[in-house]
Amino acid sequence: MSEELAFRSAADLARLIRDGKVSPVEVVETYLARIDRFDGTLRAYVTVCRERALEEARAAEVARSRGNRLGPLHGVPFAVKDQFDTVGIPTTSGSRLHARRVPAADSTVVARLREAGGILLGKLNLTEFALGGTLTYPAGQPRNPWDPSRETGGSSSGSGIAAAAALAAATLGEDTGGSVRSPAGWCGAVGLRPTWGLVPRTGCVPVAWSMDAPGPLTRTVEDAALLLGLIAGPDGRDPWLRTAPADPGADLERGARGLSVGVVRELVDGADTMPEVAAAVRDAAETLRELGAAVADVSLPLVPRAGAVFMALADSEAAAWHQPTLAARADEYDAGTRRRLIAAALLPTTLTQQAARARAAIRAEVLGALTRFDVLVAPTAHTPAPPIAGAQAPVTSGAEAARRFFTRRSYTTPASLAGVPAVSLPCGFTAGGLPIGLQLIGRRFDEATLLRAACAYERAAGWSGRRPPLEG
Amino acid sequence: MSELTPAEVSAQAAAVGLSLDGDDLLEVTHRLNAFLAALAGLAALDLTAAEPWPTSPSDLR
Repeated sequence: MSEELAFRSAADLARLIRDGKVSPVEVVETYLARIDRFDGTLRAYVTVCRERALEEARAAEVARSRGNRLGPLHGVPFAVKDQFDTVGIPTTSGSRLHARRVPAADSTVVARLREAGGILLGKLNLTEFALGGTLTYPAGQPRNPWDPSRETGGSSSGSGIAAAAALAAATLGEDTGGSVRSPAGWCGAVGLRPTWGLVPRTGCVPVAWSMDAPGPLTRTVEDAALLLGLIAGPDGRDPWLRTAPADPGADLERGARGLSVGVVRELVDGADTMPEVAAAVRDAAETLRELGAAVADVSLPLVPRAGAVFMALADSEAAAWHQPTLAARADEYDAGTRRRLIAAALLPTTLTQQAARARAAIRAEVLGALTRFDVLVAPTAHTPAPPIAGAQAPVTSGAEAARRFFTRRSYTTPASLAGVPAVSLPCGFTAGGLPIGLQLIGRRFDEATLLRAACAYERAAGWSGRRPPLEG
Repeated sequence: MSELTPAEVSAQAAAVGLSLDGDDLLEVTHRLNAFLAALAGLAALDLTAAEPWPTSPSDLR
């Protein structure tokens, strides 16, 4: 029974709590029991707010029984990447450098979910400073719920695990170059990167200011829409925010009929894409066609270069933010983070300028395609989750560094470079039982159409109902 | 473009006040050479029509 409850969507749980069919205390206790049972292996959490969550759950139950006005997330336990400030709770950014950092205020997104009645269950593991490539995690190595010897994707690793393994009702991550979509893809969850400028970054430790986008990781598209609706819109402090659309989930029930879908040929059929992944994405496009969408291939010749372009720009932005700490306390960074930041700090400016031009050209390619198609389709990653051991082996050549660091990012960074929204959701499993992520890319500030397409596919395909074979 | 050597990378790092040695120096050298190879290829593209600012703030208002 408790597993059935844990795998309910956040929207379902909110309805059950509102109708008095389940108590917020029972829901919180269910997730805490699962964390106790499974997180010793999976390492999704950096901090579990056990007593506080139980206390808030008891208060939520009292409020419901008294007939108080309830928020849309009343009594629903959520967890957030440990990159988002939380008042009175350490916010480590996955780094020893911030191990004792305790913010004085909640980040805007956390405050908004709490105002909606949500209960903060804890803070989730991530690669150091959300950069990716961490070799040693202070809170333990995050492990894939479908195979603990495999990577989770990052940087919102714990958010992907907790969503897929039902260690929270829903989670938040932050996506700069794929940090929400990558763990969603490899862990078998739904991960939404909103349009840049839709969700406030106030209280979110920055990675790259021109691309950072907080977004939800959930088990259903409906939940992604629910959370986005709660966290989007200006907060008066992040200067680059546009007024949020009324309801990003408004079109979820409209189906795919009438949509135009472009299949990005370079990412689906490219030499780096594993055939099993390409076949699953082609099958997904075919499902959308059967649902009434008009589907055609589209060519975006520059996107295979997006990974290198992204890293030249985003890593330079990150290196600028970290420069004073890097100069004074380099030894306290994880070795993977330190090497990545120093390489970016040494990049010739002539090349970063060339990358800035290339970014503009890639953006024009993506936006141009989105004038002809409502959504674009691509794999979230070129392979399913690889073994953890591979990512920890030493880099032995420039060519290998390009394969390891640029290739995978070329799948998620076109949307980041263009500032458009994108969502990853499951589109099948490999013969070995690992999830394959389908990425849908949409028009700026048109999350409603993006989520409409994703929801239509999710409901027709049924992959999102699968549960990982957890042992604990 | 020729590849950088660890000695050249070490000198560059020292010039900006960063210390690099051992495994860090080797990996940073490989990472920089990966960037040089990947980004040098951009010079062959015609990017003259590229918009000079990638995300226009006015679009967000």
